[in-house]
Amino acid sequence: MTERLFQAENLSVSFGGIRAVQDLSFSVEQGEIFSIIGPNGAGKTTVFNLISRLYDLDRGRMIFEGDDISGLAPHQIAERGIARTFQNTELFERETVLNNLLIGRHIHRSTRLLDEFLFLPGVRRQELEFRKRVEDVIDLLDLQPYREQIIGNLPYGVRKMVEVARALCMEPKLLLLDEPSSGLNPEETEDLSYWLEDINEDLGITVIMVEHDMNLVARASHRVLALADGLALAVGAPSEIQNHPDVLRAYLGD
Amino acid sequence: MRFVLKTHYGQDVDLFKHSGQRFWYAALAIMVGLAPWIMDDFYLGELSLVFIYAIAGIGLMLLVGYTGLVSLGHAAFLAIGAYSHAYLLGHGVPFPVALAAATLFSAVIGAIVGLPALRMIGIYLAVATLAFAIIVEQVLSHWESVTGGYRGMPVPEAELFGLSLMGSQTFYYLCLALLVASLLAALNLLRGPTGRSFIAIRDSEISASSMGIHLARTKSRAFAISAGFTGLAGGLFAHKLGYLAPDAFTLLTSIQLLLMVVVGGLGSLHGVIFGAIFIGLLPQAIAFLRDTLPPAAAQIPGLEPGIFGLILVLFLIYEPLGIYGRWRKIRLFFDEFPLYRSATYRRQKSYLRTERVR
Repeated sequence: MTERLFQAENLSVSFGGIRAVQDLSFSVEQGEIFSIIGPNGAGKTTVFNLISRLYDLDRGRMIFEGDDISGLAPHQIAERGIARTFQNTELFERETVLNNLLIGRHIHRSTRLLDEFLFLPGVRRQELEFRKRVEDVIDLLDLQPYREQIIGNLPYGVRKMVEVARALCMEPKLLLLDEPSSGLNPEETEDLSYWLEDINEDLGITVIMVEHDMNLVARASHRVLALADGLALAVGAPSEIQNHPDVLRAYLGD
Repeated sequence: MRFVLKTHYGQDVDLFKHSGQRFWYAALAIMVGLAPWIMDDFYLGELSLVFIYAIAGIGLMLLVGYTGLVSLGHAAFLAIGAYSHAYLLGHGVPFPVALAAATLFSAVIGAIVGLPALRMIGIYLAVATLAFAIIVEQVLSHWESVTGGYRGMPVPEAELFGLSLMGSQTFYYLCLALLVASLLAALNLLRGPTGRSFIAIRDSEISASSMGIHLARTKSRAFAISAGFTGLAGGLFAHKLGYLAPDAFTLLTSIQLLLMVVVGGLGSLHGVIFGAIFIGLLPQAIAFLRDTLPPAAAQIPGLEPGIFGLILVLFLIYEPLGIYGRWRKIRLFFDEFPLYRSATYRRQKSYLRTERVR
């Protein structure tokens, strides 16, 4: 626990009469895996959509690496080094795994349109460089068998991993994983927890994860934030949260 | 069966993936290169028209097939290219400069049209581009000092270094050279970051923006590039027509262009070529067929558009991937022979939202 990478201050957003997130504050340290849990409709994915600026904040602000990012456009968030995955996967369906991952390298491009029309040597060099980085991620997540396959033909579990891989290709500083284990079988979930460790420890990427699988949360995360009805219930180590009376009440009722 | 052994990442970047492709494309190049010695002027002219359609189709394909933005107004860009090229030629601008300027001018107009279109998708965008095409048509009809209005505007002869480019052979080679250049430019674009960002927008805007793709800028870029290619085709089309009048660039032309990319096969540059051959040569084929029919059947009015429409409907029902889709299936059959599995391309219903391909 060294320095603060991301900080949310009094985030609030409502849709019509529904207060999706209310006065939510939390901070994520450099290098930790931070999980957000909560019953359905608690506002977990909304928090992600706020961070990636798909939604506008009503109140509050978000600080990333000391800069206020609450007013940036979604693509600028990516350029800052925040990558994300989606709950139901949002891949480029008609493209191969390889091309999906190459799109993940988009923010690292340095060529200009005119160079690309002529495919100057610089463009080729960049393509080969991109490919090398992509292959590193493919090796890390064991996606070799699927490299040339069209996303539309892949099983759901593989797609989830391709989405994580695509986010990793961006070489982000902060990775937002929205229910990475949903739709995975127990074995795949097990693999996921090892990969999370690799991503976090070997690549040094800070992770914020929304997750329902408490086993995975307990195993992988350093700290947990429990949400219910858009309000923060508790923040702490996984074991504390699992036994926290407010959290139990939110899940099980009185 | 063919197995390509990959030993270097560059092989995936190269345009030709294996020696078989190199051989067949070389054969094709020799064939189209020698065509003027084999064909008479009429067929050469028809083939030049196919090339012109193909250049316009590349533009439309980049927009519709790769970026997923539908345009019902591409006849307008064709018209802008044609008129500005003819206008500049008429004012003594040399041919290459006039053609380049017409291309750039169309691209700029494309970018401007793209701006309000950025917030629209699907049918709304189609209607907006349609409105744009109608505006352009009106401007062409009424801005008489520049366009000649309904009377039209003669297209000056194209010359390069004192040589006329208007002979059917030289014009054929001109169209061929520009088509090859356009194809290379489009292929290069598609294997680089910009092409991939177009595809990303087509398949998922939300995810594209989370990947750092600037939606507005990329879409307006797609519009500009698309309009540029179509404007270039317009410049050549002007020479093909010889005399410009607004009725050459109507809604029907836009629809024909759109048909070309859909029938050819959305999302492939092969499809553009197939579609251009289809659009360019089918009317001739139908006219040819008409001569062989019994007089009673041949005299039915509207036979040509009828057959045209029928073929289109059959394609949409049985081969939504277009001519290129059919081509790929046939090729795979031979590639995998004798191990081809008949269910490879069987269409399946998909239920998961993520399995649906829009």
